[in-house]
Amino acid sequence: MPSERLRTLPILGDRIGEIEQICAKYPERRSAILPVLWIAQKQEGWISEDAMKEVAEVVGVTAAEVYEVVSFYTMFHQHPVGRHHIALCKTLSCAVCGAHEVSAYIREKYGFDAGKSISRDGRFSIEEVECIGACTEAPAMLVGEKLHGDLTPKSIDDVLGKLD
Amino acid sequence: MPVDTFEKVYLPNIERGETEWLEEYRKQGGYEATRMALEMAPEKIVEVVKDSGLRGRGGAGFPAGMKWSFLPKGVYPRYLTVNADESEPGTCKDRPLMEQRPHTLIDGIICTCLAIESELAFIYIRGEYYNSADIMQKAVDEAYEAGLLGDDVLGSGRKVHVVVHSGAGAYICGEETALLTSLEGYRGYPKLKPPFPAVSGLYGKPTIINNVETIVSVPFILTKGAEWFKSFTHERSTGLRLYSVSGHVNKPGVYELPMTVTLREMIYDYCGGIRNGHDLKFVIPGGSSVPWLLPDQLDTVMSMEGVQAAGSFLGSAAVMVLDHTVCPVWAVTNLGAFYRHESCGQCTPCREGAAWMHKILLRLENGQGTMEDLDTLASIAGDGTPNTGMISGRSICALGDAAAWPVGSALKLFREEFEEHVKLGHCPYKNKRYWMADGKFVNETFEHHPAWGH
Repeated sequence: MPSERLRTLPILGDRIGEIEQICAKYPERRSAILPVLWIAQKQEGWISEDAMKEVAEVVGVTAAEVYEVVSFYTMFHQHPVGRHHIALCKTLSCAVCGAHEVSAYIREKYGFDAGKSISRDGRFSIEEVECIGACTEAPAMLVGEKLHGDLTPKSIDDVLGKLD
Repeated sequence: MPVDTFEKVYLPNIERGETEWLEEYRKQGGYEATRMALEMAPEKIVEVVKDSGLRGRGGAGFPAGMKWSFLPKGVYPRYLTVNADESEPGTCKDRPLMEQRPHTLIDGIICTCLAIESELAFIYIRGEYYNSADIMQKAVDEAYEAGLLGDDVLGSGRKVHVVVHSGAGAYICGEETALLTSLEGYRGYPKLKPPFPAVSGLYGKPTIINNVETIVSVPFILTKGAEWFKSFTHERSTGLRLYSVSGHVNKPGVYELPMTVTLREMIYDYCGGIRNGHDLKFVIPGGSSVPWLLPDQLDTVMSMEGVQAAGSFLGSAAVMVLDHTVCPVWAVTNLGAFYRHESCGQCTPCREGAAWMHKILLRLENGQGTMEDLDTLASIAGDGTPNTGMISGRSICALGDAAAWPVGSALKLFREEFEEHVKLGHCPYKNKRYWMADGKFVNETFEHHPAWGH
């Protein structure tokens, strides 16, 4: 049974039951650090220092050890992102199939100031990332958890236009 | 598209993109391999897989059955880890396997666990594959409910448990020791080998790591026989293979083919040739890490031995095809950025070497390079063959080699174009326009966008 204290944690408290089930799958509790960080990121959209401290308490490591892990993996956001996060592939297969234009198109049409990764209205954030494993449907992007390939201006508008 | 004379087994209906859930898999005779494996002695399963000649589909091509037989006798627990951290640029064949054939993978996991006497398997899926992880988790749940997984597999008294684990964005975690370190809850740092994971792996216990496609091959080998698998053979490469073909072909996609296929057949017969009738410039035949091939090497047989004879590696069978609009200096700068970003930073030759190579490449591509830069670059990268230059063969894991080979290879094959960048003071391919046709992005050449950092 998880301690009552864990249930009172502001960020992870209401997910403690699920977290305990995850931890129980692994021979060593520390292995749950990535899955618990994913839950923390889902709760707040990014991983704050407070969240790292909670993950440390839940998994049983120090906050420094959690930070060490968070800062290694590029999908963990250490700063707030837009309501919808776009991860646009920029590696070779996508790059030769128009990834640059996709980037320029989204950045212009969806209100990104030059050099900024969050749109002016906070609706979107964008990150040009390394290969996302969709090379045969280049150019491709992830919007939140959903993959979109063979991007065209129309398909981009169809996807992004529907999001609030 | 040529008429195939062989039966596709891995992804026969890839274009439909449907998930084969348990009910459907069972209708097709699914989990027959598991039933057979439950009746077989573990050594017998290993023997059949060894006999089939199955070699790892992740990149290194190590014989799977031989890997399994490296486990020290009598040491338990043992773990199986399925490497689904498909991150080598160009590669995207494990994703359709997991999303369309999740139960074939679970069938393979059970058979492999029985072969290596493991009761717990992990599927380490790269973080970007949200959908694959969802589908695999649902399929694993179905398998538990049906009594295929758990403490009593199909009433046999044998235990097999499966945990679906998502990574969080790190190319290095596809390296087997880094994957295990990551799975233990640390930064994904590779470890020196030996000890090999088969002796000391996850939590210090004997661990077998195989690629998704390798494990998916196991049920086919058990049910159709090693002889069937060997009926597709080129030298020591047996079985059908999933090729991810991307870039400037008319029909990019994942193609299931015998390894006797030539590069020419693949590009021109299966993939519909080069877009817009353009000329071929170069091909990266096995994922971004391998040396490049030129148009005069189109008759290369796409087996492990065939590609090696041509001076490269089949790697993960990810074939990237680039047409004459692509500046090779620009292309290798793109890859240089990838390796610089993805170097885990643990050991010096790769961390510093990848960064310096990228800095020099950026300079050259932007027309600010010197002839001396070319020599410096060659001294770091080598000539695209193993153990040349300052990185290859000197790092803890193969990422160092992976970062160096494409650069060394590009420099060797396209030296004149590198020199032209220096002489002209700019990229000769630059400053043409992009346009959009039929609502599709088309780029005749490349332009640098500030958002891309180069």
